[in-house]
Amino acid sequence: MIEAVNLAKHYGAKTAVGGVTFTVRPGIVTGFLGPNGAGKSTTMRMIVGLDKPSAGSVTVNGKHYADHHDPLHQVGALLDAKAVHTSRSAYNHLLAMAATHNIPTSRVNEVIDMTGLAAVAKKKAGGFSLGMGQRLGIASALLGDPQTLILDEPVNGLDPEGVLWVRNLAKHLAGQGKTVFLSSHLMSEMAQTADHLIVIGRGKIIADAPIATILAGGQQVKTRIRTSEVTRLSALLAGSGVTIECPENETLEVTGLDSRQIAARALENQVLVYELTPLSNSLEEAYFDLTKDAVEYHSQEFTEDSADASVPAATKGQ
Amino acid sequence: MSTTTIPASRAAGKRTGLSFAGVLRSEWIKFRSLRSTQMLLGFSFLAVVGVGAMAAWLRGTIVDAIMQSGSTVATRPGAIPSGAPKLTIEQAIASANAQGLNIYGTPIAGIQLGVLILGALAVLLISSEFGTGMIRSTMTAVPKRLPAFFAKAIVLVVVSYILTLVAAFITFLISIPIMSHYGITMSLGMDGVLYSIFMGGVYVAGVALAGLSLGTLIRSSAGGIIVLVALFFLLEIGTQLLGLVPGDFWKYVGQYTPSVAGGRMLEIGDKAAFITPFAGGMIFLGWILLLTIPAAISLKTRDV
Repeated sequence: MIEAVNLAKHYGAKTAVGGVTFTVRPGIVTGFLGPNGAGKSTTMRMIVGLDKPSAGSVTVNGKHYADHHDPLHQVGALLDAKAVHTSRSAYNHLLAMAATHNIPTSRVNEVIDMTGLAAVAKKKAGGFSLGMGQRLGIASALLGDPQTLILDEPVNGLDPEGVLWVRNLAKHLAGQGKTVFLSSHLMSEMAQTADHLIVIGRGKIIADAPIATILAGGQQVKTRIRTSEVTRLSALLAGSGVTIECPENETLEVTGLDSRQIAARALENQVLVYELTPLSNSLEEAYFDLTKDAVEYHSQEFTEDSADASVPAATKGQ
Repeated sequence: MSTTTIPASRAAGKRTGLSFAGVLRSEWIKFRSLRSTQMLLGFSFLAVVGVGAMAAWLRGTIVDAIMQSGSTVATRPGAIPSGAPKLTIEQAIASANAQGLNIYGTPIAGIQLGVLILGALAVLLISSEFGTGMIRSTMTAVPKRLPAFFAKAIVLVVVSYILTLVAAFITFLISIPIMSHYGITMSLGMDGVLYSIFMGGVYVAGVALAGLSLGTLIRSSAGGIIVLVALFFLLEIGTQLLGLVPGDFWKYVGQYTPSVAGGRMLEIGDKAAFITPFAGGMIFLGWILLLTIPAAISLKTRDV
């Protein structure tokens, strides 16, 4: 359980996080979604006390992180895959982390096996690829078998097998009643992993709701119809609150009526319909809807006009 | 790479919490698991012993010269008259000691070089954590932060003290045959020998604490080492140059620099117009605290 109340962080005149209030509950996977620079990482760093909040407070399992007598058993955090000494082996890194809490060496070996690091555990962490570094970060986070898991962009640089593993791990731990909080700027990843979504943009919470609500919340549900009698069916379906588009031949996209109503009207009038598909709003669309005013680092459109005007502004990495 | 499909998160035995003993063990594991640390420790050991052995030989020849000439070497360099020595060996040693060439300090003669290497190692111990991002892992595991700082300090103090003690004792053993060649009998019974062997490590440990503090404050390896060298080497040279300024004031300022005051701590006996060894020790301690306290505050309060 993570509870943030009016949590804010300012760097001089710049506001990274502008007073956010949210609760991350145990037993489900909570996604933390937002564009680059939205304040995801800063918020997560404040949860474990690496950054001091400018205002407000955040507690984990009822206490400030630093006030727990067993922080690594309370929270496992992957905030930055590069939070290791580059000249130390992965094994020694984990051994040193474990020693602070008197976690036995057997657990170190356990997390190494769990994250698939066994073959490279004795090698210097500085030589690791992004994906291996990520695995080491996850291994560190799991060391204390924590009640709450905080993972910042956990699938960054992982191979498909690793992505699937992280997804299953998050669901598995949430299933055991643990609190799982993971951030991503990849909406598709969130759609597959998270049960609940907190969307942040420019340091403000834009949405905090179950993922199904966010998916449904955007535009109205669209239905795609394929029929050879496009004109006749359009006339039959037309009415107030109904919009009908004809994106391609023999195809209609209708909003304002659900597929059952459409099917009933087609049957009454003996119009042959050979496809009737409810189009669920993708998380991508919902996300763009939510954050379109809150994106801090817009990529410049690369048009004919701007092509000669130096380099297009790249999106800022975190 | 393959990963096990089901994350076996069975409870890791009995739950234990954060303890200072654990943090200390963690810092020791971190300290010993870096190749660079092992190498720097080896170098500083060789430096202390090597320079010490050379110093033993040099002091032997100087005492021999004093004995032959009956006076200081400084006033009559290379003037070794034939015939019987003008001074006894005891008189020559006393004369050398009076001129600041502490025969009893031979075991720790190489300490300045050792200090340079161990001081740099101390800066690196924490600045490399800031440089690599390791500090965020450290401070996540020890969110109260200061226990990690104190654990690092303890590891450094113990390691540098023991290393200097062993190196000084080995230098002492090596210098016995070298010195006896010149008729000087080095023994642990000699005034100041045992004292210097035991105190040398205190000086090195103090400089290591200064290095750790500078690394914490500046968070950069290069910056920390430069300031450390400035404080412990350049400041002394600077005040020596200022001693040429007319008037008495600048002639005494040099005694208060950390390296001179700390060096005085290792000596025995009084010197004219100079701070006592005890005062030297206190001034040295003051310098260390002047760096350690702000470092601890900085680590506790700043974002990492």
